[in-house]
Order: sequence, then C-alpha cells, then structure tokens
Amino acid sequence: MFTPSVTHPIGDFVRKLVPDAMGYVTPYLPQSVLEYIPAANSVVAFLINAVICIIAVCIVAIGNAPILIYMERKVCAHVQCRLGPMRLGWHGTIQTIADVLKMLFKEVYAPKGADKFIFYLAPMVVLIAPFLVLTLIPFDKNMVIANVPVGIPFIIAVNGFGILGILLGGWSSNNKYSLLGSLRSGAQMISYEISFAMILLFVVMVSGETNLLSITQGQEGTILDWWIFKIPVLGFIAFVLFFISSTAELNRAPFDIAEAEQELTGGYHTEYNGTAFAMFYLAEYINLVTTSSLATTCFLGGFYPPLIGVEAVDSVLMMVPGFVWFFAKVYFMIWCYMMVRWTFVRPRVDQLMDFEWKFLLPVNLVLLGLGGAYIVLFG
Amino acid sequence: MLSLPFNVSQLLSQAGAMFPTGPMDIAFYAVAFIIIVTAILTVVVRNVLQSAVFLIFSFLVTAILYLLLHAEFVALAQVMVYVGGVVIFVVFTILLTSHLGEDAFNVRIPKIFAACTLSLAFAFVMIRCILPVKELATVTTTAPADYSSLHNFALRLLGYGADSFIIPFEVVSVLLLMTLICAITVARKGKGEK
Repeated sequence: MFTPSVTHPIGDFVRKLVPDAMGYVTPYLPQSVLEYIPAANSVVAFLINAVICIIAVCIVAIGNAPILIYMERKVCAHVQCRLGPMRLGWHGTIQTIADVLKMLFKEVYAPKGADKFIFYLAPMVVLIAPFLVLTLIPFDKNMVIANVPVGIPFIIAVNGFGILGILLGGWSSNNKYSLLGSLRSGAQMISYEISFAMILLFVVMVSGETNLLSITQGQEGTILDWWIFKIPVLGFIAFVLFFISSTAELNRAPFDIAEAEQELTGGYHTEYNGTAFAMFYLAEYINLVTTSSLATTCFLGGFYPPLIGVEAVDSVLMMVPGFVWFFAKVYFMIWCYMMVRWTFVRPRVDQLMDFEWKFLLPVNLVLLGLGGAYIVLFG
Repeated sequence: MLSLPFNVSQLLSQAGAMFPTGPMDIAFYAVAFIIIVTAILTVVVRNVLQSAVFLIFSFLVTAILYLLLHAEFVALAQVMVYVGGVVIFVVFTILLTSHLGEDAFNVRIPKIFAACTLSLAFAFVMIRCILPVKELATVTTTAPADYSSLHNFALRLLGYGADSFIIPFEVVSVLLLMTLICAITVARKGKGEK
C-alpha cells in the first residue's frame, strides 16, 4: 500500500491548498492505480512537497557555495596578512558572484583524445553524494527532508561516488597530471573512508541510533549532553579523529595531495573549464557543508542551543531558532577546516598513507573497543 | 509446417492476464527495463571503463529494486559493496591496461552468433519455465510490516535464537580475516627482497 508521508508543517499547508486538484485527474487513471491511492489530495500534496524539498536542497547547496568561496578567500587572506578581495562591493562581497557568472559563461569543451562520455559524466557523478547527503541532515526539528531509519549507513554507502567521479574525471582528461592526481586521490579517499566510516559507527554505537534526527535528539539538554562531552575523553578523541579523517575525505589541505598545485598543476580537474569545473568546485564546497553538518549532528548537538544550566542565560539562548544554531555551528566547523587548511603543511604521499593505515585505523579500532566497554560499564 | 510445442496466442493472453498493473508493478517494470538496458550496454560498450560505469548504474538500479521490496539495508549494502568494489576495479584497470581508450576488443562475427543463440535459448527456457508459475504474480507478502528494517535485521543477524544467524556471521568474519591476513602475507616483501 502506497501511503504518501508528508511530515512537514509546510506539507500540511500544501495539503489544505489542493483539496480538489485530484478530481481533474481521476477519470483518466486506470482502476488498478486508483485502488492504491488512499486519499487523492494527499498524493498531490506529496508531489508538490517533493518539488519544495528539491528546491530547498538546491537553495542550501547553491546558496552556500558563493558564501564559502568568499569566506575561504577572506580567511586565507587574513591568515597570510593580506586583505583579500576588497574592490567589488562592500569588502569585496560581490566578487564571488562576478566570478561565478564569468565561469558559467565560459565555453565547455573536452581536450583532444579525451573520452567524451566519461569526461562529461564525471562532474555529475561527483555531485551525487553531496546532494543525497544534504537530504538526510536535520537542520531543525521539522527541517529534515528524508527522515530515514538508515541514515548513517546511507551516508557511508553514497560516499563512494565522490571517489568514482574523481577517478573517472582524472582518467578521461587524457592528461598525465590529471591521471596521477586522480589515482592519488583514489588511494587516499579509499583509505580514509574506512576511518571516516568507523567514527560514524562509533557515534551509532554510543547513541544507539542510525537515524540522524534521533542522534540529535539524544543530545538534548545542556552543553555537557553533546556527544563530544557526554563520554569523558573518548568523545573528544572521536571528534578529533573525525576532523582529521574528514579533512582527508574532503581532499583539503593539508591532505590535498590530489591537487597539489606545485606537483600536479591542478590535479584531476586540470582539463575542466566553465560549468564542468564549476560542478567539481560546487561538489567540493557542498561536501564541506555536509561534513560540517555531520560533525555538528553527531558531536555538537545539532540544532540544540548550547545551554549551560543557568536559567537566565538559557532562556535567552532558547529564543534563537534551531536552524540558526545549526548553521552557526556548521560555519564554526567550516572556519576550523579553513584555518587548518591555511596553517598546516602538506605531508608526502607515503607519509599520508602511513598515517592512515598505521596510526588512524588502529586508534579507531581501540576507540570502538573502548566505546563498547563504556556502554557495558556505564551505559 | 512448423508446429510449436505450445500455443503462442494462448500463452500471450495468459501472460496478459497474469501481468499485474498496480503502481508497484509499474515501478518494477521500469526498474527492470533500466537494469536490462544498462546490463546490455555494459557488455556492448567497447571501452572497459565505460562498461564499468554502466555496470555501476546497473548495480544502482538493482539497489532500487531492493528498495521496492522494502529491503533497505540490503539495498545500501549493494551500493556500499559494489560501488566501492567497482571503484577499485577502475583503479586496477587504469593501472594494468595500456592503451585503454583504443579499440580494445575485436569481436568476430561467429562469436556474436554463438552468444546470441545461447542467450536467446536461455531467455526462452526462463520464460517457458517461469511464466506459468501462478504464485509469481499472485503471491501476497507474508512477512510482518518492518521485518527487514535495520533494527530487526540486525537483531536477527546477531541474535542467539533459533531464527538468527550469529554463527554463520562469525564464520564469515573469520573467513574474511583469513583472506586479509593471506593478502598481507602475499603482498609483503620477504626479508631478503628489496
């Protein structure tokens, strides 16, 4: 039986708006289909709701990217004692929009001898994972698109598409630097994906939930109820490990051997230009948002305000809506990623792999064991 | 006059009566059609990497098929294992094949004929055997509502009861551990080697 679920308040609003729209369609549908439809107007509301959800994901994804590009330039500039973009608009705020427009108007072409099919497919494959993960993230109590019971396994499953897109893009460019960059990145991301998944499984283990909304709701209360502080020491270690492995997953410096400008000119997207390049760039920045959101959801209490247990302060903090807190935490995480990017130096390829296989992975296994012990003893 | 072992028109009308047309069935037909198309493209395309891409699409749509059957975790495991697996396959293809983009396969005509004959015969046997089975079209689901949800799935996989699978699970884990250790033993250098 097909029962459309419209869980959002906006869904109820839509359902009231379209009570009779189905009457125009019903005479043309076969009897076998009609038997399965419980309430006709809820189907229309469901469809409209789906469109609203798609638009919402696109707004979050595409709206965040220019802000992040501007922020990256400013953080980078101030770390290096520069000013960054200053001329266009107030403190260079319109600069990013001008850059995006320029990029969209460029001609898109493939290099000679490239495999055209894979060359144009790769940017789309790269964008699959970030958009799918965005649908799972609870921005507020009612602001989650797909409240599925298998949230964390879903995220671990779709992460593979990022690697695939980078490999295909690098190979099909018909350029030795791109190929080297994509192979390096493939090896790196396959390795670091293991510890990334293991940290997520640690969170699943201590919280006993795989649904992202339930994981967040398990952290309701004061700041000490967030998973980073709730389990003494272990939570903080898990958070640091998550930060390291997700930096490597994102291919950001200091783990950006996939791009390594000095060695590979630009890595796997050297041959891309115009919209195709913009898609790689967009995927990178949406990934930054989704990974920071995951860190926020799993460790920093999601959309709950940082209550400290003092009544007067807490009542003020509670007045701010949840999604504001969520985005504040997400942007704090992004700022941390950016500071790390412009502070640390890049390790060599072999040092990077040694670090994952000889340090991170054993530490993760020990952490999983200790988490199990904690649950048995105190949980 | 060629006489067939069965009546064609009768079989067709029988099939038409048997094909259900509910929404889930239509979804199944669409998914099955895409699986067949991508599977054929996987074999037909000449470039190894392109066929790997189509293989991934075919696996993905198979995962959607599992979702239609409400087996969420199996669908996710399908994506997790096969997309990751094919990624590693792609890495090795790039590393081990030279002149990848060029005319890799030169299939001769008789082989095509043999392959067509074999697959047509196989399809014929499958249709002949499977279509008359009435339960395929009319069987109702007997499992409880959230039989294959992640929670119940995990409880059954790791439980100790009569209908749970803890011992096969442990045996498979030990087997995987053995293969891991064997792979490391094969891959590591001996003491004398450099």
